[in-house]
Amino acid sequence: MPASEIYTIAQAPVTCHAFNADRSQVAVSLNSTDVQILTKKGKDWVATDVLKEHDKTITSIDWAPNSNRIVTSSQDRNAYVWQLTDGVWKPTLVLLRINRAATFVRWSPNEDKFAVASGARAIAICSFDPENNWWVSKLLKKPIRSTVLSLDWHPNNVLLAAGSADMKARVFSAYIKEVDERPAPTVWGSKLPFNTICGEYSSPSGGWVHSVGFSPSGDALAFTSHDSSLTIVYPSDSTPTTHSVRLPSLPLVTLAWTTESTIVAAGHDCQPLLFTSSPSSNNSWSLTGSLDSSAPKTAAKASPVGRLNNAAFQTFKNADSRGAGAGGAGGKGEETELATVHQNTITSVRAYSGGVGEVGEVSTTGVDGKLVIWSVDSGSVGGLVGKLGGMRM
Amino acid sequence: MDVNFRKIDIDAYDEDVLHESELYEADPRDPSQVLSEAKAKSASVRSLLSKNDISGALSAVLESAPYGPNVEEAKIVTLQTLLTIINTTKSTEISGVVKSLPQDDQDTLMKYLYKGMAMPGWGDISGSVLLGWHEKLTEVAGTGCIVRTMTDRRTV
Amino acid sequence: MSNVLRPYLAAVRSTLTAALTLENFPSQLVERHNKPEVECGTSKEVLLNPLMISRNENERVLIEPSVNSIRLSIKIKQADEIERILCHKFTRFMMQRAESFIVLRRKPVKGYDISFLITNTHTETMLKHKIVDFIIQFMEEVDKEISEMKLSLNSRARIVAESYLTAFNT
Repeated sequence: MPASEIYTIAQAPVTCHAFNADRSQVAVSLNSTDVQILTKKGKDWVATDVLKEHDKTITSIDWAPNSNRIVTSSQDRNAYVWQLTDGVWKPTLVLLRINRAATFVRWSPNEDKFAVASGARAIAICSFDPENNWWVSKLLKKPIRSTVLSLDWHPNNVLLAAGSADMKARVFSAYIKEVDERPAPTVWGSKLPFNTICGEYSSPSGGWVHSVGFSPSGDALAFTSHDSSLTIVYPSDSTPTTHSVRLPSLPLVTLAWTTESTIVAAGHDCQPLLFTSSPSSNNSWSLTGSLDSSAPKTAAKASPVGRLNNAAFQTFKNADSRGAGAGGAGGKGEETELATVHQNTITSVRAYSGGVGEVGEVSTTGVDGKLVIWSVDSGSVGGLVGKLGGMRM
Repeated sequence: MDVNFRKIDIDAYDEDVLHESELYEADPRDPSQVLSEAKAKSASVRSLLSKNDISGALSAVLESAPYGPNVEEAKIVTLQTLLTIINTTKSTEISGVVKSLPQDDQDTLMKYLYKGMAMPGWGDISGSVLLGWHEKLTEVAGTGCIVRTMTDRRTV
Repeated sequence: MSNVLRPYLAAVRSTLTAALTLENFPSQLVERHNKPEVECGTSKEVLLNPLMISRNENERVLIEPSVNSIRLSIKIKQADEIERILCHKFTRFMMQRAESFIVLRRKPVKGYDISFLITNTHTETMLKHKIVDFIIQFMEEVDKEISEMKLSLNSRARIVAESYLTAFNT
């Protein structure tokens, strides 16, 4: 499954990205205090707008496809909602009432609320107050004990999953009386007032929960944690069934469900990995392969240790090392590029094309400044490449 | 008025801060029970080693290893047992033995290798033997195993 | 001796690759601040277990990882008094110029000879596998440098002594 399109959009790390509804524009933040809106012109992405309002690094961006609004969060404890009026993006203030950095933000499925995760050990659920024309928030605090690292909404617009640095992934109810109507009961519970905990899960070896995601139907929760594992939880009345896939490679920091039984996750290994579950083996999950066909098959092993070491020895035997100083010229001239498409950690994976539950392509951005679109063949690994703009089953 | 208020460590009274002990699930077993289990394991391992069943001996000692505070003696006994197994395995057999271990045991073995390297010169720890095992184990289990040793608070 | 060097460096390399999984993490204690958590040490949940890799009692590497930074401390082999002095001078020379090394720490951690502090800003701007290569190269080179310095010191001392004492040989 090779990458369909690779774009190098900057020399700086791309912290986060969000596409608009028709995928003609993407909002990115290049590890800086402003958001750049890039528009697709031919084969390249050209910067058309710059949104400047934050004064510390932007941590997360989300673009609501239907109402065409962008929400951004940053380490300066603020979040802004941007609306396109007369071709100009205008920010609206959001009263978050948190006293530490905001780390993650996502619109709810109906786009009437959004949730902001923060280092103040709280999640702010924001809804619009038409009287005063600003966004007000209610905070989810208990029992979070550390920075919240990531969020995901349930399709019913009420439940919210959160992964945090206290090693737990939790499911909360973010029911706001003014905005939501009573949700139907789900596998997570019924009758859920604001701030009810519907479940608290962690991985056996601990590790900060970097990313969480509900399945397209909302009946399962997947989370990746720093102990290089991906865990999927199926809640039930008695004890929830948990499937944990432990990887021989470095931790994953972001995930996206493509269908009800496939997940694409990526992280410090610099390549997106595909996980599938098979109903035949009782819904157990396993790693089926990597989306990056250029990655070496033995990517699971530690980097070729012996080989590089011997090469280093040779260079030093040959070169005259006197007076060079230990920190001096280290350029060996070999292996400066990794075999994978991304040269550094992948920071974000998002669904690119296809509806909820039938995602055909995903987009990834990484610390190396690249934006890559991959096609996901739901089913076998090694499917053929789909044409630009969509795949047919 | 107590003038010593300036010397109070305010941060210690902060309720929101997470303590080390809250970061993992505590061992439900009683410390003395853990110790007796460790001693029993060491006896069974000795018999398995005499029959030359290295992987059996390794699995026996790595299963339900003692962790957390209050079980220092049990940890030392388990470490000693593990060291005897490691020192008696031939370097050609290491790969095969490591491959036959289940994932949980591979992670625990990595934890013990690092614990052994942290105490050079204690008992009969040999740096070269531990490093040889570390290399073979990394080849089989990958860097993910090392990451789990770093994140898992259940230190052996 | 050198056949223990290879697995030693291999172990350091794989542990360092596993530890360099850093990300930007704003401080939980002070608003609008971003500090290397391994140096602050106040939030216990963002620190990971420190790992030590040792070849024997005199050569050790300690790696202390956390969410946005790692601290790597090396204890260099010093067999006799001369090597101890040379090592101290050499590391002092480098630590005074820590700014140009970028990843070097100005003071070594107690019990070690030299320390490095690598943060998420370094992994964002530099390639991770090259940082690892740099550290391993450093470890290989420093031993060689010290033995070369010792040899040149001894030969210089011999020449000086010879030329001084021949004056008395009349």
